[in-house]
Amino acid sequence: MFTDETLDIIGAESTWRKSHQQTQESRSCQTLPVDTAEVETQARDVSDNSTQTQDQISQALSIDRDISDFPGLLDFLHKVEDIVIKELVKNSKSHAFDGFRVNWEDQTESVSCMYRLQHVEAQERGLQVTGVSWNCTGSVIGCGFGRVDDGDWSNEKAYVCTWNLDRQNLNPKRPDMIIDVPTPVMCLCFHPVRPSVVAGGLYSGEVVVWDTSRSQDLILAQTGMSADTHREPVFQVSWVPGARRGEFMVLSAGSGGRVLLWTVDGAEAKLILSSGYALVQQQVPQCGAASRTRGSTTIGVTSVALSPWDLDTFLVGSEGGLVLKCSFSSETVSAVPPDGESVTLRAPVQFSFSPLGGPVHSVHFSPFHRNLFVSVGTDGLAHLHTVLQPRPLLSLRVSDSYVFGVRWSPTRPLVFAAATGQGLVQMFDLGRRSLRPAATVDQNTSGQPTYCLEFNPKHTNLMAVGNADGSVNIWQLSAELTEQGAKETAVLEQLANEVVD
Amino acid sequence: MAEVEDTLKRIQSINGVIGTIVVNAEGIPIRSTLDNSTSVQYAGLLHQLTMKARGTVRDIDPQNDLSFLRIRSKKHEIMVSTGGL
Repeated sequence: MFTDETLDIIGAESTWRKSHQQTQESRSCQTLPVDTAEVETQARDVSDNSTQTQDQISQALSIDRDISDFPGLLDFLHKVEDIVIKELVKNSKSHAFDGFRVNWEDQTESVSCMYRLQHVEAQERGLQVTGVSWNCTGSVIGCGFGRVDDGDWSNEKAYVCTWNLDRQNLNPKRPDMIIDVPTPVMCLCFHPVRPSVVAGGLYSGEVVVWDTSRSQDLILAQTGMSADTHREPVFQVSWVPGARRGEFMVLSAGSGGRVLLWTVDGAEAKLILSSGYALVQQQVPQCGAASRTRGSTTIGVTSVALSPWDLDTFLVGSEGGLVLKCSFSSETVSAVPPDGESVTLRAPVQFSFSPLGGPVHSVHFSPFHRNLFVSVGTDGLAHLHTVLQPRPLLSLRVSDSYVFGVRWSPTRPLVFAAATGQGLVQMFDLGRRSLRPAATVDQNTSGQPTYCLEFNPKHTNLMAVGNADGSVNIWQLSAELTEQGAKETAVLEQLANEVVD
Repeated sequence: MAEVEDTLKRIQSINGVIGTIVVNAEGIPIRSTLDNSTSVQYAGLLHQLTMKARGTVRDIDPQNDLSFLRIRSKKHEIMVSTGGL
């Protein structure tokens, strides 16, 4: 009936599906056999060498070595001695180069006013420029505003303004930086090494040090009102080298007869008194006239000059016309009764020069000769002194009115400039025969006085002059006034040696 | 050897002479009336210049030789005398 049956499987190939197996092909290759060979070498002779530098002691000793080490020296000297002596003698007698001037750079023929810097607010209030100072790089000029003609105690606000002359967008009417000061500024001095630090002396007797690189609170240090500070206006402020190298102290001198040295304490923002000197009439060695006053009368200081040659000496010009030579290291105690100061005041005066008729407004040591200095005051004369004798070597008539400032030129040993009360700056050249000024620079202040002037330490042909009308003029001097000629130092030396018996 | 000292003293005592330096063939100062550092500086600089000047003279005429070199500046004059005469 029904039986199980197995049938063969019937299959049909797919027309669209392919095998997923890839086609494969096999190939192989092999390089030819690689040839190798081995060789060995060996050095037969070995030598070692090394180099080392030696200390250059031999150069320093060669000058001290005995002459017998140099056998050819005597013969050489015999050979050349005659010709050398002949040439030297010919040279000292020769006129070949007299008046021969060589100029590698362009010459400016005349003195020209580069800028007339003003601070409008100060001018409106009638403030006068009492001090100018260049910073150590020679690019920034700072000026302090105050009053010189006011006899009364004044509390009016004043300014210290700075202009950067090397900037492109210099606006002469707008200072780069204006510092507000509560009392009039009497003097200003930039730090000799740090370009942004400036010290100023105020009418109230305070000494303030500002740091113009700070964005807020420009005051780096100030004396404040304590028993140590000056009670009278401070007329001169300077930076002197301190005990350690690179450190500077502030020297301030005022009409109270005190010369004080302060160290800057940046952390406390205070100036700390480190030593002080008080000048009294009794302790001044007189040069002939007997002292008529009894009791200790203090000598008001109006100007101080520091010697660039001798770090111990400084000159003081006083309100009474005295010019005194003082020493930092003097040990005599001052005759002034102590008034609660923290240090004992000393008497520094060693020598007094012949007095002037009125207050000495400015004293300046010559940068080219260690004994010479020039002093000016209200008598209208500029006195050239040597430190060795009391009477002046030379007295030149500068102007008919008062003379407020005097500075030696930093490049020409025989030239100095004086600022007069008529608004003129007279420049004198001692090498010329005549006693009249070599150049007169009119400040265009319509007769108002000129109070201060400074030469730029880096760009030596620039001079800044501060006037009573509240403007600072920057002058570019001619080549004649700034280029040193031959033998000027020798003429200066000769002048200094004319000590009158 | 007082003769050497005498000769140098004679040269130094002429009017206007500020200093005298005697230099050996390598350019090292062996006798000087100026201080050490100045002598070394002058000797080094002038040795180079003298060699250059001597080379110039001999390039122009090989039979010739430098005998004296003078450098005049605004402030001073430097005179160099070499051994070749």
